[in-house]
Amino acid sequence: MTVELERPLASLEDAPALPATWLRRIVVHREEVLLENGGAPAVPAVQASVAAVVRNPWVGTPATRDLAPEVEAMAPRLAVELTDRLLHALGGVDAVEAFGKGAVVGTRGEIEHGGALIHTPWFGNLVREFLGGQSIICFADARADAGESLVVPMWHKVAAATRSHYQTVSARVPDGPRADEIVVVVAGSTGPRPHARIGDRSTDPTVTAATAATAATAASARRTSTDREDPRP
Amino acid sequence: MNVRKIVTVVDEVLTEGGRPVEPAARVAVVAAVIENPWSGQGFVEDLAPGIDAHASDLGALLAPRVMEALGAAPEAFGKAAVVGLDGEIEHGSALIHTLKFGDHFRTAASATTLLPAVEKRGPAGVLFDIPLKHVTDATIRSHHQSFEVRLPDAPHPGEIVIALAAAAQGRPQQRLAALSTEQ
Repeated sequence: MTVELERPLASLEDAPALPATWLRRIVVHREEVLLENGGAPAVPAVQASVAAVVRNPWVGTPATRDLAPEVEAMAPRLAVELTDRLLHALGGVDAVEAFGKGAVVGTRGEIEHGGALIHTPWFGNLVREFLGGQSIICFADARADAGESLVVPMWHKVAAATRSHYQTVSARVPDGPRADEIVVVVAGSTGPRPHARIGDRSTDPTVTAATAATAATAASARRTSTDREDPRP
Repeated sequence: MNVRKIVTVVDEVLTEGGRPVEPAARVAVVAAVIENPWSGQGFVEDLAPGIDAHASDLGALLAPRVMEALGAAPEAFGKAAVVGLDGEIEHGSALIHTLKFGDHFRTAASATTLLPAVEKRGPAGVLFDIPLKHVTDATIRSHHQSFEVRLPDAPHPGEIVIALAAAAQGRPQQRLAALSTEQ
């Protein structure tokens, strides 16, 4: 599938130079659910994650080191590379309904190094803009050896509290991150969970500790009156 | 055939051995997670009816998808069957070791060799490595490679993962002498 992307990329051409080998590998993972619990999803959705393996430029630097120069050089480039591929995998900006992001830092780095690449405007604002979102982008991070799977959370790109769109997708690079690398992930989905049916804030009753206790008492009374039969089929 | 989900992986290697790889080395995998057609039937002696019912459909489902995902002419290819814990490896082999399955991919890729394969049994999330060899000459050493795959949620005990893999080139930075130099 070819997706035409319109972006003001010219400014990135002038971004600070990076070593030719700053980016080692990119893995796109796309999942399409056709059946869940025996039924086709009412609203079919495609999920995808895109994971890029970059050299950690801060390995060996002290914990006081300012991370900003490398962030400004690397994060916008990562935002472009990752969202380009995500949009191709999901069918374009309009198709994307939920998004998320993540980082896996190799064992010689700090979690802060991964956070530097995904939590500043140099990455987050651009990812949000390229994916047509407004929400804060939810995230996961970890420090791990190569081959660790990261479960990346996602929520709705313009209405984060939309419960039907709370979902996750995995990202994994078989040989990354090496100890001196960072895996940076952007994830997206074109719709809700396969059989989303747990209501929403608009349909929720008011639940407090007191109402929950009342409900538990009522459920206990029902169990007694039905001879403790297992209600499951 | 009940297909629960289809997973596509596209891998680009831009750097290897500390040097740029230009153009980036591309490998694509498409995997279908299907219900094991022989699940719950005990030992089925004759697998042919199930093969006839499903193998060609699987090949037709996966071949165009892996071609599209690669976005280039495949130079190497391979296949995989990963059987859930309640099945036999023979069930997975039944679905992929037939021309009915592989011919869809061979035709699409203008290939003439047999597809190298991995067959194994494991839990959901098991790692498997798909071997790939050149599409017209399985002795071309530059194209011997394998690709590691993990599906987080498959196969369930009564399922089988069936996959095709395609590479647009040989190994990144391949530089081994050809087989013919040793003969």
